[in-house]
Amino acid sequence: MAYVIAEPCIDQMDQSCVAVCPVDCITSDPSADRKFYIDPDNCIDCGSCESACPNKAIFRADSLPAEWAGFAWVDATWYVDPGQVRAAIDASYPTRVS
Amino acid sequence: MTAPVLDIERRLLGPIGPAVPLTARAPLMGGLIEARPIRRREITPNATLVSRIDLTPAIARFVVRPDGGVPPFKPGQYFALGLEVDGALLQRPYSTASPAGTTDEVEFLIRRVGTGSFTPHLWQVAPGGRVWLGPPKGLFTLRDGDERTHLFVSTGTGLAPFVSMSEALMRSPTRPRIVVVHGVSYAAELAHRDRLEAWSSTGRLSYVPTVSRPADPANAGWTGATGRTEAVLDRVCDQLAMDLQDTVAYICGNPEMIEAAAEILRGRGFAESAVIREHYWTAVGPAK
Repeated sequence: MAYVIAEPCIDQMDQSCVAVCPVDCITSDPSADRKFYIDPDNCIDCGSCESACPNKAIFRADSLPAEWAGFAWVDATWYVDPGQVRAAIDASYPTRVS
Repeated sequence: MTAPVLDIERRLLGPIGPAVPLTARAPLMGGLIEARPIRRREITPNATLVSRIDLTPAIARFVVRPDGGVPPFKPGQYFALGLEVDGALLQRPYSTASPAGTTDEVEFLIRRVGTGSFTPHLWQVAPGGRVWLGPPKGLFTLRDGDERTHLFVSTGTGLAPFVSMSEALMRSPTRPRIVVVHGVSYAAELAHRDRLEAWSSTGRLSYVPTVSRPADPANAGWTGATGRTEAVLDRVCDQLAMDLQDTVAYICGNPEMIEAAAEILRGRGFAESAVIREHYWTAVGPAK
């Protein structure tokens, strides 16, 4: 059961999660993305990212708040088709989240 | 932030039931349901297990030599140690006990979890065996130039980062006072005891090992502190007359101990920012 980065990361991208992930399974393209993404295939469920995130954006997939359930798909799909995910996020969040 | 993320689901996915596995949540545009392909990282060992030093049948010090030398790291950081198991790369993070500036080898203090998915395989690797080592990671590190008393509280293998940190502070020009509280069930689990006692003999470091099962025959002859770490911590704060305004506490180990110790320190007046915790065990259990 991987961890997932949800809405509070959008346009924040603090990067503490990247600094603590022992297996480098959190990444993003800073020139194109508005959040970070956890690779569910390589996440080892250590939970380091969850406690490190100052924006409380990270949850175990089975504990995602219902309103953010779609972010499990967002994170997993980014590693297959990042363009589709970027378009979906831009469509749902057309203005910058402050 | 109230943007309607559910729009993403409606637009691309349709309703998502909580029982739908992640691997089935592939791009569903057009109504296709297709398991997402599983990607695998290349499994190329990049380090060699140099030695395993058994403290007990279940706790050992592992010394690993990366092929390209040890990357720069800060005391308190951890590395992912990996093995190929059934064709997949299994990884677990472990804090290193090695001093920063180590060039050839890094050492880890690891508990074997009999029911775990990783450590039983790790124990089967003989010296000379090949392993995978990730980059140093983590924010559980010393603050530059921090002259406050450093109170290190640990249980079991949670001692490892404090060995690395203590070594750095012993060499630090700021020469802060160091207090190491280490709780174990059995005295044989007191890793790096000789080293800590040597540092203690200099007067710079106070070493307080405690065993929680003093009546167990395995602890026969133990004359040091007894009781759980958090109980000893309370006494240590009194006996060492610690100035709470001039102390920073680092806690690593069993998650229940971490919360109990943090609560004790808060109750004694420690500011929240002066209690730093390492959380690498999740709510579902320790790394195995």
